[in-house]
Amino acid sequence: MAKKKSILSDQRFIVLLVIIALVVIYMIFSPEFRKYSSILSMLDFSYYDVLMAIGVTFPLITSGVDLSIGTGMVCYALIAGRLIRDFNIPVVLAMLICILLGCIVGLANGSLIGIMGLPPFLATLCTCMITRGVSSMIMATPWPTNKQPGGWFHSIFKLTFGSGRSATKIPIGFVLVVIFVLIMEFVLNHTRFGRYTIAIGSNKEAITLSGVNVKFYHVMAYTVCGLFAGLAAIAYAAVVPTVQPGTGAGLELDAIGGVFVGGVSATGGYGSVLGTLAGVFVIVLLKTGLPYVGLQANWQQIVTGIVLIGAVIIDVIKRRRLAKEQ
Amino acid sequence: MRLSKFKQNPFVKKVGFNRIILFCVMILMYVAFCLLVPGFFGKARILSVMNYVYFLGFLSLGVTFVIATGGIDFSIGPVMFCCALISGYTMVFKGAPVIVSIIMSIIIGFIFGSLNGYLVSYWTIPPFIVSMASMNIAKGVAAVYTKTQSVSWPLSTDPDNGWFRNLVSYNGFPVGLVIFLVAAAICMIVLNNTKPGRYILCLGSNEEAVRLSGVDTKKWKMLAYVICGTLVGIAAIFFVGAYTTVQPGYGDQYNNEAIAGCVMGGTSMVGGLASIGGTVIGVLIISLLQEGILALGFAKDIQLIVTGLIVIVVVYADVMARRRKN
Amino acid sequence: MSETNEAILVMEDIDKSFPGVHALDHVHFDVRCGEVHALMGENGAGKSTLMKVLTGIYSKDSGKITFEGREIEFHNTREAQDAGIVIVHQELNMVGDLTVAQNIFIGREFMKGFRIDDKKMIEESNKLFDELKIQIDPKAKMSDLTVGKQQMCEIAKAISHQAKVIVFDEPSAALTEKEIEDLFTIIRDLRDKGMAIVYISHRMDEIKVITDRVTVMRDGGYVGTLITNDCTKEDIINMMVGRVIYEDPKTESHVPADAPVVLKVEHLNAGRMVQDVSFELRKGEILGFSGLMGAGRTETARALFGADPKTSGDIYVNGQKVTINSPQDAVKYGIGYLSEDRKRYGIVVQKSIIENSTLATLEKYMKGAFIDKAEEEKITQKYIDELSTKTPSADTLVVNLSGGNQQKVVIAKWLVRNCDILIFDEPTRGIDVGAKNEIYKLMNRLAEEGKSIIMISSEMTEILRMSDRIVVMCEGKKTGELDIAEATQEKIMDKATRDIA
Repeated sequence: MAKKKSILSDQRFIVLLVIIALVVIYMIFSPEFRKYSSILSMLDFSYYDVLMAIGVTFPLITSGVDLSIGTGMVCYALIAGRLIRDFNIPVVLAMLICILLGCIVGLANGSLIGIMGLPPFLATLCTCMITRGVSSMIMATPWPTNKQPGGWFHSIFKLTFGSGRSATKIPIGFVLVVIFVLIMEFVLNHTRFGRYTIAIGSNKEAITLSGVNVKFYHVMAYTVCGLFAGLAAIAYAAVVPTVQPGTGAGLELDAIGGVFVGGVSATGGYGSVLGTLAGVFVIVLLKTGLPYVGLQANWQQIVTGIVLIGAVIIDVIKRRRLAKEQ
Repeated sequence: MRLSKFKQNPFVKKVGFNRIILFCVMILMYVAFCLLVPGFFGKARILSVMNYVYFLGFLSLGVTFVIATGGIDFSIGPVMFCCALISGYTMVFKGAPVIVSIIMSIIIGFIFGSLNGYLVSYWTIPPFIVSMASMNIAKGVAAVYTKTQSVSWPLSTDPDNGWFRNLVSYNGFPVGLVIFLVAAAICMIVLNNTKPGRYILCLGSNEEAVRLSGVDTKKWKMLAYVICGTLVGIAAIFFVGAYTTVQPGYGDQYNNEAIAGCVMGGTSMVGGLASIGGTVIGVLIISLLQEGILALGFAKDIQLIVTGLIVIVVVYADVMARRRKN
Repeated sequence: MSETNEAILVMEDIDKSFPGVHALDHVHFDVRCGEVHALMGENGAGKSTLMKVLTGIYSKDSGKITFEGREIEFHNTREAQDAGIVIVHQELNMVGDLTVAQNIFIGREFMKGFRIDDKKMIEESNKLFDELKIQIDPKAKMSDLTVGKQQMCEIAKAISHQAKVIVFDEPSAALTEKEIEDLFTIIRDLRDKGMAIVYISHRMDEIKVITDRVTVMRDGGYVGTLITNDCTKEDIINMMVGRVIYEDPKTESHVPADAPVVLKVEHLNAGRMVQDVSFELRKGEILGFSGLMGAGRTETARALFGADPKTSGDIYVNGQKVTINSPQDAVKYGIGYLSEDRKRYGIVVQKSIIENSTLATLEKYMKGAFIDKAEEEKITQKYIDELSTKTPSADTLVVNLSGGNQQKVVIAKWLVRNCDILIFDEPTRGIDVGAKNEIYKLMNRLAEEGKSIIMISSEMTEILRMSDRIVVMCEGKKTGELDIAEATQEKIMDKATRDIA
């Protein structure tokens, strides 16, 4: 019989406690961190991570992975940015192009994996190389700044009233990503797409026999991931002064790491987008917060690595205990 | 029909049909570059290609062992940089002799390999999560230790430490090539003719069956990662031997290239099947591509696109071949 | 009984070949509304293949399938389901991470716009369960249910398809007696509602209790169809086995009374499936382990062998107390384990016979740091000859061998190791009839040579034919021990189904 699960055993709850603890520690030890502007800049640099992570949650639940989101994101931002500069296309069109490119690459990943049967890791490694190669051919590109025409798109993530030092800034991007998280949490739990995504990760054979078009939904999981990589490209362009060609490798790891910290099982079949949000914020807090408490920025990477291993070890121990009970 | 006869030829069977094709592709590529780029033919270009082959070759050899177990390690690039940075920093800024640095580099590689292997095999954490974590840790440790400075290894004119360059080339004679080929030969023998190799290949194919035969699979699996780490430590020496300077925070791209070289050569991502000879050819192809594309006047990273596409084709062929068998 | 009913489903002259195997040889089968029709035959007789042809998982080479008067051919299970033919599979096809209701309606969820109407799915599931008179919470996670409950869910799922024909593929294999009773009540209920039921099983007793007609298959061929009430068990058995294969059961133990005890297990506990199991094994003895599926026999063997962790218990080999915490330890003390699932636990299929044969003994075939490949090949060839393994060469990949020959490779692995205690877990599962006989002969020879064998088997005939002594298990506990002289099917069955709880 199903046991009543205590809230304490829910990894999302633990992660939430970790977030609160981190924030409290930072606040106590760093007056700098207590400033509104610090919070603001931390949030600024969290959006693209969160968006990538929302997307990659889906392939990870199918027990696959998408390694191309980091380089892909940079690649889309570069291409769209170049189009703004060279062809004067409106920013809104550039944003749509980002999303479209993301979907195309996601579709390609999905087809390679779901239809052609390539191992997810390898297929997305290849698209990671390809998107990186493409992006290295394009000149470094700043998207329009706040004051330039087309700069309005910054307001999607941060409303700015007034100018100079006295400007009031509101991080509405946070509201935006939370909405996305809620939508995708709903999609995961209450739509066919979400349900079959879980089923693919849990027992692919079973739903194939139930007559579900598994290939289609498998491809969809990667396409959705690509779509969010496209959205992340917009968020990335909004905070990075100039998008540099050939970069982006390694950015996907923060997102993927966040998803695992958030409680997606390393073997697929279980996950939640809310957990992902919490997990990514742990990573973001480590990434941007440690310098405030006097640790070199580089310690962040070490701590992130250790936290990631820790999160998965919890999962492993939990599964081992379960196996022992049976 | 003649083709199938050719495939049955004992020599072809021994070497492997795919490897022969791959070798031909490599020769054709070289001829094509020579025809397209005036002055490509000649010793200078070959030596330049070789510079890339050395370090990438060692990385690829190492990761071949890991992939043979059915695992993956994409921390190798950053770990290589970490080795080169820490040992180089110790030499340049703390006055250690170069021989100490070389040993240190190998030891650091060994430590990372052991750590990865331990977590993958004794804690059953999925290899790609372990890689992600150790990649972060490697980057972080290197950056913290060097205080984010880049490190330049001594030039050959350096009276005390410059001699290490002779490991790469001595008066124009490619010593590095000899060392690399000897290393490859040793790897081949280890994989095919020794107990560790046999166990690594068998457990890559069916770990549980090997365990139930009374073999300590955890130990041998960990060994594969240790071998990989050690070879990465050696790769670091050849990297700085050819390119002198390393910068903290980089190295990701070499993971992809090393894995691509190994997979191109016929090592199967599902484990159990590995070919050192194939890996060597794969590495040669990637290095040649890189040099050729630069010589043609394109950006260096275009090589990534071509490599990515080749890997997709090769792996798809492998998937199809296996499907036909069933 | 409704003999007047027209057959709703008729399969005529069905023929199907796989490379190297004639799986179905012009088979006939039909089923009527309101009857339970048993499909019987040994492992590998072709029952499952026939049903897979019916539901479109395999395509037939020739023959005709008529359903409700029309000739049909399905291309996938979905088409078969839509037409009203549903299989309740032997291995359960459930998504463990989803709930019961979500599983029942997977692939055809009720929708409210974009949204899956989980509420309605739960209501409908409850209705189905009411109809079947079973109590399961539709909101429970599938992986939290017992196997029996999961099976009920499969049945509910089948019914929800508006099925007209339901195929039960060995449904009772993993159920307790109480659960089997519930299952039979449901099946009778469905029959009385006019559904056509195909019931695949090995168990003679069940066939007599639940079915109206029996069709028997052997080696891919059709043997005949009988009315259950008009025939005896012996009739069916004779049709199933033919006369060639089975010798008479052993009548007395071949082990001398003073044979030393080589293995003694005391109070072995491991998880839920192994509770306080004790037994002894003597030199040259074949000790049969009988019981239903899920009785804990395999778990006992695995715990003894160190493959799974054990909670407590003492093991003595040749009178000496030993600690076995891993297969390495077990192998060190001369125990070899041949798993029921060869492909997963026995052999490395993508490797050669040589590599498999020396897997447990590699250190003996080393020349310094290198493997002595010539010596390896010699010993492999020796056992290929000795076990008459059919293979082109010792280099052949194991994946290219037939089931029986793969089993011989596993046996060779342990013989190369010279193990004195061998655990055979379902040694003849999935092996064709001829090869089966060879494996039996081999086991007898090994016992004569002084090896001691534990044989786990779900086939009663196998147990009675091979064992010198029989241990019976039920629900993780040892429920009896019989000498072969006193053992009968009935006695064993009685102990195997004793409801201890």
